[in-house]
Amino acid sequence: MSAAPETGELDLSWLDLYDEPTAAEPTNKGLTLEAIDIGPYASRDEAPRDMTSRLRGAKPREGALRQGLSYQTRADVWADQCRSLYEEAVQRQWSSARDIPWDTLHELPDETERAMCQLSTMLAEVEFIAGDVPGQWLPAISGEEFEVGLFLTTQIMDEARHADVFRKRALANGGGMLAQGAALGLRNLLDAKDFTEMSVLMHVQAEGFVQSMFRMGELIGPTQADKRIFRMAAQDESRHLAFGVMHLKHVLTETPERREEIHHYLDKAEGEAAAGGGGDVTFPPVFESLALLLGGGKGRFDEGIAKLLLLRKRQVKEYLHRLDVAGLGDRRERLGPALAQFADA
Amino acid sequence: MASGEAPPEITDSVRQQASDLGWEDGLIDRALAQGHALQVILGALQTNVGGAQAKAFLDQERSNPSLDWMTAPTEWGVRGTPSDAEMGLQIGDVMVGSYGEIPDVWTNRTEIARGSHPAEGQEDMGYTIFEKAIVWTDSAPSLYERAIRDRWAAATDLGWRSLEALPDEIERAICQLLTEQSERAYAEATVLGRWLPEISYGFVEVKLFLGSVIYDLGRHAEAFRKRALANGGGLGLQAPSHFIRGAIEARTFPELMAYLFVQDSTLLTLFGAAQDFAQNQLERDLYRFVAADRERIMEYQIDRLSSFLEKLPDRRAEQNRYLRKAEVRLAREWRDAAVSEPLALLLGGGEQGLAAGGAALTQLRRRQIEEYLAHLESAGFTRERLHSGLAAYLEGEPGA
Repeated sequence: MSAAPETGELDLSWLDLYDEPTAAEPTNKGLTLEAIDIGPYASRDEAPRDMTSRLRGAKPREGALRQGLSYQTRADVWADQCRSLYEEAVQRQWSSARDIPWDTLHELPDETERAMCQLSTMLAEVEFIAGDVPGQWLPAISGEEFEVGLFLTTQIMDEARHADVFRKRALANGGGMLAQGAALGLRNLLDAKDFTEMSVLMHVQAEGFVQSMFRMGELIGPTQADKRIFRMAAQDESRHLAFGVMHLKHVLTETPERREEIHHYLDKAEGEAAAGGGGDVTFPPVFESLALLLGGGKGRFDEGIAKLLLLRKRQVKEYLHRLDVAGLGDRRERLGPALAQFADA
Repeated sequence: MASGEAPPEITDSVRQQASDLGWEDGLIDRALAQGHALQVILGALQTNVGGAQAKAFLDQERSNPSLDWMTAPTEWGVRGTPSDAEMGLQIGDVMVGSYGEIPDVWTNRTEIARGSHPAEGQEDMGYTIFEKAIVWTDSAPSLYERAIRDRWAAATDLGWRSLEALPDEIERAICQLLTEQSERAYAEATVLGRWLPEISYGFVEVKLFLGSVIYDLGRHAEAFRKRALANGGGLGLQAPSHFIRGAIEARTFPELMAYLFVQDSTLLTLFGAAQDFAQNQLERDLYRFVAADRERIMEYQIDRLSSFLEKLPDRRAEQNRYLRKAEVRLAREWRDAAVSEPLALLLGGGEQGLAAGGAALTQLRRRQIEEYLAHLESAGFTRERLHSGLAAYLEGEPGA
C-alpha cells in the first residue's frame, strides 16, 4: 500500500477495516485494560499469530516482517489478572524522592547504620538484576499477549525504583555502600531459557523471599523512613509475586505435563542458593547485618539470629504456600536441603 | 533419627568441607546427635554456613559474628541531601563523594553496586557495556526523577466519559493512527528492554532512566489502544514493519540509539503538533502527556549523542550509516497509505478536506525533518546528506 496524500494520490482502503464498531465503557476504575478486552480484541487461546510486531486485534499487513522469535502459545506466558496487576501498578507508582520521609532519618548507632547500609547495598544489587530480567524477556512476548509485556514494563519501573531507593538509603544518613552482598543466586535468573522458568525463579521464588523480608520491615527498619521503604517496596513485590503465582497456575492448568520440568528448575535454584535469586541470606554480610538489625544491636546478636531464623521459616513457609496456591503443593516433598531445614514438619 | 538406628556415615570429603568452613571437630556428629538430618547438615555446608554460625545454631550460645563487612573499605560519612525541596531526595543528590564519580570504563563484571566493596569470586553477569561514552549523560539522573514526578495513568487521567461520537471517517482515521502508534511505542519498549541486561552497574542512573522510558512507552501503547477502542471504532491495519526491524537488528547500543534518534525526534514533533489533528480534549490531553514523556527521551538522545561524539570523535562518520538506514525506512513508511492518509484526513477535517490535509501534512513532515536536523545539531552533529526521501519534503517534492 503506497500513496502520497500530499500529491493527491490516494488509497483509503484502511477506512474499510471496521466491521465491528467497538466502544469500551469506562469502569469505576477508569478505562482499564479489562474494559477494552472485548469483542474481536479480547484475549483468547486460539488466535492467528505471526511473529510480527502486530498487537492483538490489529489487522495483519500483507508482507509484514517477522521480528524474531516469540512465544506462539498463550499458556507459555499468560497470567490471569495480568491486566488488573498492570492497572494497579500504574495507579500505585510511588516516588522514592518524595514519598519516603527522608527527614525522619536520624543519627543511629554506628553499628546499626552500617547494618542498614549493608542490607541496602545487597538489595540495590538484587533489584538491579530484577529489572534486567523482565527486560530480557520483553521481545519474547507475542503481541497477542501484549498485556503480559505491559506488566513487565511496570516491573522494570518498579525494580528501578527499588534499586534507586536502597541506594538512596545507603547514602542518605552518613553511611555508604558497604560490601558486595548478594552472592549466589542472581545468575540463575538471567540464565533462564524459558519464560516460565524465569517467572517461577524470579517472581515466585526470589521475589517471594524478598517480599517476606520486606514484610518484616517494621522489625528490620530502624527509622520511619526505613519502615516506609520496606512497606512501599513490599507493595510492588506483591504484584510481581501475584503475577508469578498466577502464571504458574495457568501453566500447570493448561500444560500439566510441565510439572516435573518446573520442579527441575526449582531443584537447581534451591540447590544453589539459600534464597534463590533473592540474595543469599547465609552470606555473612547479609546474615549478620540482618541479625544485627532484627536483634537491635551487636549486644543482642543472638536475639537477632533467633528472629532471623524465624524470618527464614516464614520465607520458606510462604514460599511453599504460594507454590501450593499455584498447584505445586508437592514441592514440599522435594524441597532443597537449604530450605528444608526451615520447613515445618 | 530413630532410637537404635545406626548413624549415617559421614564421608571424608564432607568432613573436609566442614573443616574448610571452620566447623570444629565433632560438630557434625553433635548435630546428628541432636536430631538434625544429614540432609540438613549437607545443606548447611552447601550454602557455606560458617563454623561459628553452625555452632551457635546448635548450642544457642552467644554468637560471635565476624562483622568483617563493617570495615569494608568504602567511603563512609558522606550524606546526600535534597538539593530541591520540591523534588525531594533525588538520585543525583546521593551522587556525593566517590559515589558520584562515574568511571570512564567500569571494570567489574559482576552485579556489584557502584561504590560498594567487591567480594571475591563472584560470577560474571554477562554485561557488554562498560564504557561511559556509550551510554552516559549527565542529565540521566534528573530525567529519571522527572519521569517519576510527571507520571500519569491512562485509565484515570484522561476524560474517557467526555468522548462523543465523531464522523465515521474521522473516527477511523484516529483509530488507524493510534493502531500504528500503539505498535510503535510497544515495539520500541521491547527493543530497549532487551538492552537493559547489557549495561553494567557503573551506569546505574542511566538504567534507571531507561527503565522509566520503557514504562512510559508501554503506557503510550496502552493509552493509544484504549482510545482506538473507546469511541465506536476499533483497531486498524498493523504498523509497517521495516523501521522497527532496523532497531531490532542493531548490533550495538550506539547503533540502536542513533537509529531510534530518527523516530524519537520525528514522533516528538508529531505529538507536539497534535493540536492540529486532535479531535477533542481527551486527545489533546493524551498527546500532551505523550509529548512530555518524549521530551525526556529526546533530551537523553541529544545528550548521549553529544557526549558520545565528544569522547569518541572517530566514530562520528559511522553515525551517518545508522541515521541513513533509519531515514530510508522512515521515508518508506511515511509514504505508506495507512500511515499518511489518516493524518492527512485528520489535518484536513475529513475526506472532503484531504487535499488541504495533504498540504498540511507536507508542512508537518517538513517540520518533523527540520526539528530532527535541529536535534542532531544540538548534539553537535551536522547531517549533511539527508536521505532523498526525506529531503524531498524540505524541497516541496514529497511525492518524489
